[in-house]
Amino acid sequence: MLEALIIFIGLALLFGLFLGYASVRFKVEGNPVAESIDKILPQTQCGQCGYPGCKPYAEALADEEAEVNLCIPGGHEVMIQISEITGLEPKEMEVTEEAEKPKETAYINEDLCIGCVLCIKECPVDAILGATKLMHTVIQQECTGCEKCVPVCPVDCIDMKPIPLSTRNWKWPEPDETLISEAKPGKNH
Amino acid sequence: MSFFAKIIEKISPIYPQAKRWLYSFHGGVFPQYRKELSSRQPIRDTIIPERLIMPLQQQVGQPAELLVKVGEKVKKNQLIARSSKDAKKALVVPIHAPTSGVIQEIASYTLPHPSGLEDIAIIIKPDHQNDCLDNFLKVSGEAPNTPQQLKDVLLNAGIVGMGGAGFPTYAKIPNEQGKIHTLMINGAECEPFITCDDLLMQTEAEAIIQGALITAKALGSTKVLCGIESNKPTAIKAMNKAAKGTIVEIIQVQTVYPMGAQKQLTKELTGIEMPHKAHAVDIGLLMMNVATFASIYKAVTFGEPLTSRLVSVTGLGLAKPFNMRVLIGTPFEELANLAEPKSKLDYPLVMGGPMMGFAVQNNQVPVIKTTNCILANPPEPAEMQMPCIRCGECMDACPVNLLPQQMYWYSHSHEFDKVEKLNIFDCIECGCCSYVCPSHIPLVQYYRHAKSEIKEIHAEEKAVELAKQRHEFRLARIEREKQEREARIKAKKDAVKKQAASASKDTSKNKPKPSAAAAAAAAAAKVAAAKRAAGKNTLMQNTAHTENKQTAMPAARRKAIEAAKQAANQANSGDKPAKSPKEVAKNAAMAAAKKRAQAKKAAAANDTELNKSSTDNTTVKKDPKQAAKAAAMAAAKKHAQAKKAQQANSQTLDLTETTKDSTASKKEDARKAAIQAASVAAKKRRVASENKENEPKTETSTTDKKQKAMQTAKANAMKKAAERGAKKRANHQVSEQAQHNSEERN
Repeated sequence: MLEALIIFIGLALLFGLFLGYASVRFKVEGNPVAESIDKILPQTQCGQCGYPGCKPYAEALADEEAEVNLCIPGGHEVMIQISEITGLEPKEMEVTEEAEKPKETAYINEDLCIGCVLCIKECPVDAILGATKLMHTVIQQECTGCEKCVPVCPVDCIDMKPIPLSTRNWKWPEPDETLISEAKPGKNH
Repeated sequence: MSFFAKIIEKISPIYPQAKRWLYSFHGGVFPQYRKELSSRQPIRDTIIPERLIMPLQQQVGQPAELLVKVGEKVKKNQLIARSSKDAKKALVVPIHAPTSGVIQEIASYTLPHPSGLEDIAIIIKPDHQNDCLDNFLKVSGEAPNTPQQLKDVLLNAGIVGMGGAGFPTYAKIPNEQGKIHTLMINGAECEPFITCDDLLMQTEAEAIIQGALITAKALGSTKVLCGIESNKPTAIKAMNKAAKGTIVEIIQVQTVYPMGAQKQLTKELTGIEMPHKAHAVDIGLLMMNVATFASIYKAVTFGEPLTSRLVSVTGLGLAKPFNMRVLIGTPFEELANLAEPKSKLDYPLVMGGPMMGFAVQNNQVPVIKTTNCILANPPEPAEMQMPCIRCGECMDACPVNLLPQQMYWYSHSHEFDKVEKLNIFDCIECGCCSYVCPSHIPLVQYYRHAKSEIKEIHAEEKAVELAKQRHEFRLARIEREKQEREARIKAKKDAVKKQAASASKDTSKNKPKPSAAAAAAAAAAKVAAAKRAAGKNTLMQNTAHTENKQTAMPAARRKAIEAAKQAANQANSGDKPAKSPKEVAKNAAMAAAKKRAQAKKAAAANDTELNKSSTDNTTVKKDPKQAAKAAAMAAAKKHAQAKKAQQANSQTLDLTETTKDSTASKKEDARKAAIQAASVAAKKRRVASENKENEPKTETSTTDKKQKAMQTAKANAMKKAAERGAKKRANHQVSEQAQHNSEERN
């Protein structure tokens, strides 16, 4: 009886100490749930969810303070993934992006640009280059297509254009499968 | 070998796959070659077409940089587009004019690319003079001795891998001499129909061997192997003749598709299987096509850039197939028409062979550096695609040991991560699986699609990561800028305050403290000024120096108030130098220590008193009162001392003001001490009354040590409480006073 008590108290102490040590030694910085949500978000930093960027939204989701269906660029797919991670009930998207919209980037009509720097301030990824009263331009590789710069332009010189197709970003099409569906059993006999 | 081969030859009619035992790699197929269509014809003379179309993008990588204008006259071999400055990164090679003529147009034309996309091309209208710039590359004709020299020539000559991939040859060659121990010549033209390499070996064997020897010398390779398929006996003979007496070793390899693929031929020639994701160069091997070696020879020896190549124009739809040295830029249709098509060419021509080639979108597309064959096969009725029956034929045929069926299922269901795990990027898209598939599933199409999807996914992941980083950096930058701005504003304010403080100093009495003010840093000066201002305030308050108020400028006053506030804050938070917070804190601590010591003394005194009183029956009632009194006294004393300590601080701050200050604060201190003492006394009384209720019984037992101890303990506790209160007050005193004063002054 006594031995058992001693053994178990000893074990409890041992594990307690070990766990205490582990909690200090292997402390997880930040919220791992927020991190994993942040990973699946599209990182356009568009702010359409009502949060100032993808990370704040991820953090709000991790704290269960936000709805799962707010990420418009991510669409239905991301919503499902979020609900899987957070365990929240999946909700239908209220606002949906136009179906299968190809990725667009912002272009500044450089003849119209007055150099107001409003779009530079708005851009969440610093993809717009320019200075006061000097023409601005968009660094195409950095543009996420969040469209935040479009409404702020006082002369309406920013257009969203799809990325031009070249041999470098061309994709092989998927084989046409109508042939499979047409192949009815017994047709060849 | 021969005996074994003979046996297999006997078996093969019954069991065709027995031929697979004759070579070292897995799988492979034995299609109908039909090479005789074009290989029996002599090489035809070069034609100069009506126009040459030179797309700026000739191969993988970025397009070249345009160097000519419309209307400009160019000569043969003249540079018309150059590689950009960082050619290494962009994988660009320059383009040279294949013949003399005028630049007619620079416009978008359909590329010979499976996408059928258009891109900028230079259109040359030949003048049929063929004015030539000889030795355009300005070479000495000597073989280069270092890889770098060779690479420079290759880059300037615009040479790319001519087997099909079109990877710039200069980019393929390593910089270090001796890294490549074995150089390999790829003469295993395994695609059906194509015979241009066969004929090249027959006619220009010398150039190929010399090109290989030049490369081997520059790279320091000691071994040169040349693999030629057994179905090209004439070529083998010619090559053997040319290679006699050199280090080049001609090896006959089995005729099987895809023997000409780099990894497969490497395995066959050296027995080395290329590791996953490794380049041949990493393991000291380098393989190039025979045509590439021939053009290396021409570039190095004659300074000729790559402007033409041998092309097979063949196919079942052509009556007179042929091979021709074709100028780069010649439209496909013009060549096909020369071969007398059996029917009108209303079907798309194929660039490359039937296994790996692709139908072009427009028959006017030009020959580029990688075009080895123009195939005109009339369209056959499409084979009905049927569901996969899981027969496993594709797996047996795969020369890379992949699992085509698995990859197909996952590609079909768009599970691209799983396709990637099945090493789809090792797939050489040879088409063996599609060839053997009994259900006619276009397997390679699925893999190509999956590959481009996976590449896009990875590109997107990268873009997302970049966007995230840039966004985070932006947030950090905004934060930093905000802080910097605040710091700047603060510094500005400080400067103004300093000015104001010095102004007010001038107005208020003649306190000779220039040294301190000058020596101290901005912050220190400000703090000092604030303290002074605070001190002055009390001074003015107490001694009613109204004239000071009148003389002080309103602005200066405001500044002083702010400074006082700040000083108060700083005194609390305790940072920064001069006669400031740190010292104050130190002094306060010292004062507290002193108080504690005194309190202890007082407590001891009380103890003795208590002890005495406890022995005396009559004094029992008075006892708590006495204790309270003593405590109050002690508290007051402590308080006074704390005040003194504080005063000492302000003394150090401003020596001239100390006396007045101390008198001022003393009054207040006394008041506060009285209040405190009163409260402590009240508390004591309460406790004492409680004690009294408990005590009566023990009154008689005067010698009870327990009780004594209890009482002493209680007294101690009370003292301590009083002490704590005093200490707290001492700590807050400075700030309180300062704030209070500034408010009043306001």
